[in-house]
Order: sequence, then structure tokens, then C-alpha cells
Amino acid sequence: MLISLNWLKDYVDVQVDVTTLAERLTLAGNEVNRIHEQDVDFEGVVVAEIKGLRPLPGSTKNQIASVSAGPTVADVVTGAWNLAVGDRVPYAVPGSRLNDRRIETKSFLGVPSAGMLCSAVELGLGEDAAGILILDQGATPGEDLRRLYPRDTILELEIKSNRPDLLCHLGIAREVGALFNLSVKEPTSSKPRVADARDLVRIDAPDGCRRFVGRLVTGVTVAPSPPWMQARLRAAGVRPISNVVDITNYVMLEAGQPMHAFDYLRLKDGRVVVRRAREGEEIACLDGKARRLTSHDMVVADAERAQGVAGIIGGADSAVQKGTTEVFLEAATWEPRSIRRTARTLGLRTEASSRFEKGLSPALSLPAVDRAAALIGELAGGKQTRSTDVYPGPLKLPSIEVSGDRIERVLGVRVQPAEAAGILERLHFSIERSDGMLRARPPDFRLDCTIPEDLVEEIGRVYGYDRVPSTLPGERTPVRDLYQRQDADEIAREVLAGREVDEAVTNSLVSSTGTSEIGMPAAPRSLVRIDNPMAENRDALRRSLLPGLLEALALNARQDQPGARLFELGWGFWKQATEFVDEPRLLAIAIHIPSGGGDAASAELRALQATVATVRDRLAVASTDFRQAEASGFHPGRSAEILDGGEPIGIVGEVHPATLARLDLPGRAVAAEVLFDRLTAGGERTPQARPLPRFPGVRRDLTVVVRGKIASNDLVQVIRQLGGYTLRDISMLSEYQGPQLGAGARSLSFRLQYQADDRTLTNEEVSTVQQRIIDGLKQRFAAEVRS
Amino acid sequence: MSVNVGDLDAIGVDARRRIGTAADEAALNQLRVDLLGKKGLLTGALRGLGSVPADQRAAAGARANALKAEIENLLASRARDLQAARLETLGDEEWADMTFVPSPVRRGHLHPLTLILREVKAIFSRLGYEVALGPQVEDEFHNFEALNIPQEHPARDTMDSFYVEADHLLLRTHTSPVQIRYMQSHKPPIRIIAPGAVYRRDATDPSHASQFYQFEGLVVDHDIRLSDLKGTIEYFARSLFGPDRRIRIVGDHFPFTEPSIAAAVSCGICAGAGCRSCKGGWLEILGAGMVHPQVLRNGGVDPDHYAGFAFGAGLDRLAMLKYNVSDLRLFLENDVRFLRQF
Repeated sequence: MLISLNWLKDYVDVQVDVTTLAERLTLAGNEVNRIHEQDVDFEGVVVAEIKGLRPLPGSTKNQIASVSAGPTVADVVTGAWNLAVGDRVPYAVPGSRLNDRRIETKSFLGVPSAGMLCSAVELGLGEDAAGILILDQGATPGEDLRRLYPRDTILELEIKSNRPDLLCHLGIAREVGALFNLSVKEPTSSKPRVADARDLVRIDAPDGCRRFVGRLVTGVTVAPSPPWMQARLRAAGVRPISNVVDITNYVMLEAGQPMHAFDYLRLKDGRVVVRRAREGEEIACLDGKARRLTSHDMVVADAERAQGVAGIIGGADSAVQKGTTEVFLEAATWEPRSIRRTARTLGLRTEASSRFEKGLSPALSLPAVDRAAALIGELAGGKQTRSTDVYPGPLKLPSIEVSGDRIERVLGVRVQPAEAAGILERLHFSIERSDGMLRARPPDFRLDCTIPEDLVEEIGRVYGYDRVPSTLPGERTPVRDLYQRQDADEIAREVLAGREVDEAVTNSLVSSTGTSEIGMPAAPRSLVRIDNPMAENRDALRRSLLPGLLEALALNARQDQPGARLFELGWGFWKQATEFVDEPRLLAIAIHIPSGGGDAASAELRALQATVATVRDRLAVASTDFRQAEASGFHPGRSAEILDGGEPIGIVGEVHPATLARLDLPGRAVAAEVLFDRLTAGGERTPQARPLPRFPGVRRDLTVVVRGKIASNDLVQVIRQLGGYTLRDISMLSEYQGPQLGAGARSLSFRLQYQADDRTLTNEEVSTVQQRIIDGLKQRFAAEVRS
Repeated sequence: MSVNVGDLDAIGVDARRRIGTAADEAALNQLRVDLLGKKGLLTGALRGLGSVPADQRAAAGARANALKAEIENLLASRARDLQAARLETLGDEEWADMTFVPSPVRRGHLHPLTLILREVKAIFSRLGYEVALGPQVEDEFHNFEALNIPQEHPARDTMDSFYVEADHLLLRTHTSPVQIRYMQSHKPPIRIIAPGAVYRRDATDPSHASQFYQFEGLVVDHDIRLSDLKGTIEYFARSLFGPDRRIRIVGDHFPFTEPSIAAAVSCGICAGAGCRSCKGGWLEILGAGMVHPQVLRNGGVDPDHYAGFAFGAGLDRLAMLKYNVSDLRLFLENDVRFLRQF
């Protein structure tokens, strides 16, 4: 909202400097985003009309404009090319002054130039230096430009959506009055006796129109509005058009009620019908565009067809224009939801719609029509003849009660009752006070105050939040299980950072095609689709973090950062059979191996398995097991499920080459993903001490060579079975493949720890067990033993 | 073997010469072994004293012991000299280029959103807040209606939503629905923060993204006042940005709080004078207010007995301010050259 300080001073005598004014308005919730000084420092600049344009002989940069600011025509050389014949432009005549620069007749390539045409920046009227400032057609040639753009200060305010009453100069004047304790002079208009003409307006859709005030003004002469009015409209960012249209806009910018003026003689049967549009009904709008409406949209129609989209834009056919003599003025109160919906479906927001959709008070419409009709009488010579006011359910604003204690209890500061009452009174509330209670009735232009807290807010923001003390809530802190899960997050992050993995945060929205198939087998196959995506590659919610991480690896490879190592701790979205969406917490890791072939990748894969096991080891009492498995998006021979008590909780493996090819990622990649909450299963890891062994144990290493797809897990199981109770621990030491062993053969080394609680084990005893294990492995897996 | 006095003299002369010319500590040690070791010359001579006639034995013994003492002194003294000489040239002998510094051990870097959330959580945990979480796929009741934002409310203009599952559900547009969910499942006193991702159908630019991060705060108890909210905001903002920052509280409007306020912190670059990074010397950091009585009711809390305050801030915005990040899009891009700065 643009507020002209000159205009504001019509209603309130602002004494403070503009910075203080802006500061107080901001603190009270009306943020001033910008202060623009319309600091016009020129003399002798007038409006001129371009009569002709012709080249300047010998120049490609400049041209000659013939301009007229009165009866005579002068030639001016200009370097601007945004001009057309008929344009109104600022013309600094010879002898005029721009700041401290004197403008004279000057010769260009032998052609005399009588003064100059000016850009916005040369006049201090804006930042545009690219071309000449093109004025609106309302500007009269010969007129002093200072009358169009008087010295003024323009405030750009951000008005909150609950305060449409502040989208006008009078509204801001009332705020200023309340903040600085100043009286506000409201504009008044004489109310001539006008015949009541009920037949003028019929409301067929009362649910969409709360009030409709219409007035017929006859004998109007359409002409440009006076310069002072045009100047104010310009200051508020509205282009002047003609006196009648300008008056409707002026009244809106003054008091907040949008209005429309119809050429009455163009309304079929001379009457107005307020109704829903017929499905597919078309209307030619004032902006030159034709729009097709639906049966949800409210229109203002004549006996035959829509002449305006209610509360949004008028129709072209019945627009006031030169020659219009009878004007029908409309000031209505439209149902905000309907306006908002129509504005949204039409993709059209106007000064009117942005006010109506916030919910205007019906009390505004009658004074607005009175004011506009009076101004038309004054400035366009019209006479009010007929009037109508359809207002079936008059506004009732109940009083709100609030006690001094309540104010203190909400704000945390004791506002003296007299001060609280004074603030509300300055905001035009009607106040009754009785022992400690305030009864306040809101002014009829405010629909936003209904409960005691609304009053407290009014008191608080005017009293000033800077005067509220700073305290902290009392000591009744609830004690619940603080942060258990959060601690697990932090531990996992630190472990991963220690393994040289960087943390990523990727988008929850992914492409439903591409690499979205990768993930753990437990995840549901189908994705949660976005009904209204913004982009094709963001049309579904991720079921796995891996597509995003793999994309990030590819992005880094393209940015000349191959070999990225990333992890993410985030949420997946798993579609359930019902409409419910499950949101599991997932931990995923993805590591790029730019080159080096299969060996480097298998080393990274082993390291990744160890990393997963380390995270698990830091978080849970249970150990981590892996089971050879296949999963979509993963290498068919190089992936495993991560198990928790035999149940799969994740996947780890090398990424399938076809998946990498889709990402255009060269080299190889290994990845893992696990249900994070299951990783911590078994509870928080609290160390539990065991007694130290009293007798020495025996450690034996065992190396076997196996052929084919034999899983170490199966070997370990057999070893454990045959080892008996003295075999306490088995760990996997190393894996080797090489030419000495022959194709398809692998040598696997295990370390076996034997221990008894009641005696020192003898070598013979251990060797017997060890031999039993060796025999078992030979028999079950055709393993060769090399000890 | 017999020993005579002349032998002892010869040993003495030879020993003095050899000690005096020993080149280094190793040569000196060898000399000690040669002279005083088990098979050393002087040791041998002493052992031979038994064959010396009894009348000369005492004198010869005294001579031999005196020589031994002298040699020990000479050895020690020469050792000191040699060590001193060696320490004098140590810097040249064992010089190393100490400006050749290898890179520090490579570590993984945590995401800036994690780091800022860690700070936020640490600050609020000191005030006794718990962390609460809520679903990202929400229903319209929790995301809008329960927060006083009915259909066609103007506030929905700023929260254009992504819908899923045939329009039954949507991606939450703010973390405020966690307020409702938490009140529905917990009795006051309540003191939580609720961080997480939120989604709006906003065009992407340096300060807008369709996915961004917020955290919500909610306190509900008997006798909660706006002054408590103000104090909490000041404590939070100064803890995060520094004790010298000024905090400004202005009026604002949100459908789910009444009164509503907004908080700004004085700009750290221009110290409040106004610059290109701030708005008139202030940086907006959060919106807040006293929980609207109807919102308390929607959460199953009786507004006649309880009051509350709530606040919400952009985690990515705080991270941008604190870590001087100029483009919001960097957070979800995961370029390692960005991530490794944190």
C-alpha cells in the first residue's frame, strides 16, 4: 500500500519526522518497507505532447521530436527512442531548471534544440533512466509538472491480511492518530435527498453479496480530473483515466471501499442484476481481455449479460468513457471467499479483489457512494437522481469485555485502565468502563475484533511491545525423556563424519521415473504421488534417500568433484494400503568410486559394511549381521540385507551399473540404507562389565579355501556349532582371491578364541576341537584347510 | 702375569692421550670398555696386583686405584665436552622444514542445517524444552483448520500446498501442525520445539525453495504471558547471534496467535545502521504470538485455565544469517565444495 504523506495530512496533523512515523507504524504491526522522497527540484518543466518524430540528419543516436506545450510547436533533440506521436512527456523549456542545471537552447549537428525532454531519474521521480518519462493521457499539455508531481513523501506499507481497513489513507490516518494521540478529521459529504429506487438493483445470489449500494448520477461531463486528484492517484500508484473513474479510485484510496462506475445508458433495461455467472458465460473486461466464467463466479449484470466480474474487474461494454452522461455508481460488499476463488481461477488480482477477499465491512459502502457522488457533482457536474441500498442483514458488532487483570495476564505488563481505554478509544472503539472491566464495541469498519485477546493485541501494539518486560516462563518444566532419539542422531553423525563421509540433505520430492526404484526390499513398491507437482522431476515423495544421494554424487562428479562420499539422515515416505503414509526414519550412505574397477569398489564395499556395523555398534547392544540378498537398483551379486535379530532392516551393496548409467555417473558406487530406528534396537548402549577370565585362553587362526558362492556366514555357523562351549568368539580376519588359488577360489581367514571358565585349556583339548571344525568344513563346503 | 709400576705409567700415558683425542661419544664408550671393562687394560693390571711382592703391593695398589679414578674423571669430562659440542650443532645436523604442513586428517562434514539445529536445540534444551516431531504428510485439519485457517482464508495465499493421495493429504506448509498434535497427545505443562522440513509451491530463487526447514516452539502452562515470549525470544536470539545484538518486537498477524508479533535482530554487518544485507538495520528472524484460544481448544486445552505462546522460524534462514550463506538453494544441492566449509 502506497501512502502519500501530503494526502495523509488531510486527515491527521502529522508533526513528527517521517522516520519516527515509519518506526511507530512498523512497531504497531504496519511495516513500512520503503520511504520514497518525491523530492522534485525543478522549475519550468511542463507537460508536452509529441506531435512528430523525425531523424536528426547525420546522427544515428539522436532524433528530433516536435513537441507542443500550448499553441506553438518546438523542436527538441532527444537521445530517447521510447517515444510515439501522441505521448505526453515532461518538457524542460529553455530557461527552465533541473536541480542546479539551467536548460537552454542548444545546437546539435547544426539543429537547434529548444530545451530537453526528461527521464524519471532526471526529475527525481523514479529510478528509470532508460527513456523519457511517459505521462498518462490525463496530463494536459502546458501544465506545470510540479502540479502533477508535487513535493511529497511516499510510504510503502505492508498491511496484514486481517486489516483491510488499513488499505486506504483514512485507515492509516486513524492508526497515526492512535499512535501519536492526534485527532482525525474524517471527510464528510453532503447528502442530498435522492429518490429511493428499489427496482434499480436485484440480488439473485444473496450468499455472494452482503450489501449493494447503487446510485444514479445524471448530467455528467466526462473529462480529465483536476491535477491535484491526478497527483494523489499517481502518488498511490494508480493511473489517472478520467474524472468519474478517478473519483471511484480516489474514494477507494481514501476510505478503502472499491467502487465501480457504469455507463448507465449501456445497461440493458436500465437495471442491475447481481447473480452467479452462467457456466461458460463470457465477458469482455476493462483490461481488454475476454474471460470465460463459471457458475461459481459472481457477476454484476444488466437484464441480459454480465457487465462486470463482481469485486474484481469491470466490463468493457458498459465502461464510462468520453460522452457518458449518466453514471451508475456501485459500492458493494462481496463475500470474500467467493472473490478469492474467482480471482484465483481467473489469475487476476486487482486493487478491488485484494481488498474484498480480506473481508470488508459493509458499513463502508454507503459513505463511499455518498462521497463519490458528491465529488462527481463537484468535479463532473452530475446530479444524484436515484438511489438504492440492498442490505438484508445489517452489521452487528457485539461488545467485547476484557478485564485489567486479563490484559496483564496476557501481556505480562500492567497497563493502567485509563491508558488501555484511551488506546481503544483512539482506535475508534466505543468504551464503557466499570470496576476493572472494559466493555469495547469495535468501530463499524473493523470486522477483525471478536474476542478479548483481539482487544489485548490492540492495546499491546499501540502501548508498544518495547515497553513489555522480558521474562521467562516459570519453573514448572515438564520432565520427560529428553532427546533420546536425538542423541542417537548425533552419535550416528559423528561416527560417519569420522569415516570421512559428508552429510547431505536431499529433496523429499523425487522423480517417479529415473532411479526411484533403488531402495531396500522392505519399502513398498509404489510411490506417494504429488497431485499437483511443480516440475516433472519432482512428482513423487521419496521412498528411499538413495536416489537423492546418488544424484548428488553425479552432481559432484559433474562439478569436477569425483569420489564424493555422502550420507543423509532423513525421512522416507512409504505408501500404505490405506490413505495413510508411513514416514520411516532412514539412514543412507552413498560413496562414489570414480575409477579403479572392481577391486577398489569391493574394498569400499567392505569398508561400508564395517561403517554400518560401527554405527550399529555405537547405538545398540545387538550386533549386526548381513545376509546375501538381491535388491532393486543393486548389483545382483554384491548386495546384502542388514539384519536385526534375523529380520531385514536395511540393504548394503554395490549400486547396479544400469542405475549409474541412468545417472550418467562414471565409475562405480556403493551404498547402504537402513531403518534408523531399528538400528538402535536393543536399546541405548550402556556398557555392562563382565568378570575378566581367570584362566588363560587359546587363540587359533584358521584359513580355508572355498570355491563358488559360499557365504562366510554359513561357515561361521558351522564353526560355531562344532566349536562347542569353549569356542567363545569368531571373527573374520581377511579374504583373498588371486592367481595362486585358481579361478573362483577364495581363501578366508578366521580367528577363533577358546576359553574355559574353570581351567586352563590344554593345547591337545583345543586341537581336538579345531580338527573337528576342519573336518566339518571339509565335509560341508569342500573347503581346503591351510593352517 | 705380573704388574710393575712402569706398566701402570704406560697405561696412564696411553689412556690420557686416547681420551683426549676420542672423536665422539661412541669412541669414548669403546675406550671405557678397553680400559675399565671386564677385560680392560687397567682391570687386568689391578687383577695382576696379587703377584706383586707383598712389600710393594700396597704402594702399587694405591697407584693403580689413583690411576683408575683419574681415568674415570677424564672419561666423564671428555664425555661432557663431546656432548656439549654435539648439542651445539644439533640444529644443523637434524634440521627439518617445519613449514611443510601435511593436510589435516580428512573428516566428514556435517550439514549446516544440522549444525544450526544443534545450536537451536542446545539453546532450548537449556530452557527445558523437548524436541517433538510430526508427520510431513499432513491432513488439512492439522495444517490449516485447527490453526484457524479455513478454506479460502487469505493466509492460504502464502501457503500454496502440494497435495498427495487424491487430495486427501498434503505436505505440511509449516511446522505449526505439530502444536496441535502435541497438545492432543500431551497435557500441559508443555514446552517443546518441533523442527523439520516444510513444503510450499513457491518458485525457486536465492531466498525461496519449494522445500525448506522451520522450527516451531510451543509453551503451554498456567500463567504464560507475552513477556515470557519476549524474554524467550531475546534469550534465544542473543544465544545464537551474540549478546551484543538488539532485539526488536513488532506487531504482526497470524491466524493462530493473538496477539501476534514478529521479532528482528539488529544486523551484525552494519550494527543496525542499515545496509544491503538487512532491512533498515534489522533482520527478521521469527514470527510468534500468544496461542489463540480457539487453537488451544482445538488441541484439547482449556483456554480458561491455560495460556501459551508459540513461535516459528526458518532454520535455513537462521543458517544463512549465521553462516553467511547467500543462496538458499545451496542447502539441498549437496555440492561437497559447499558441505566441506562446515
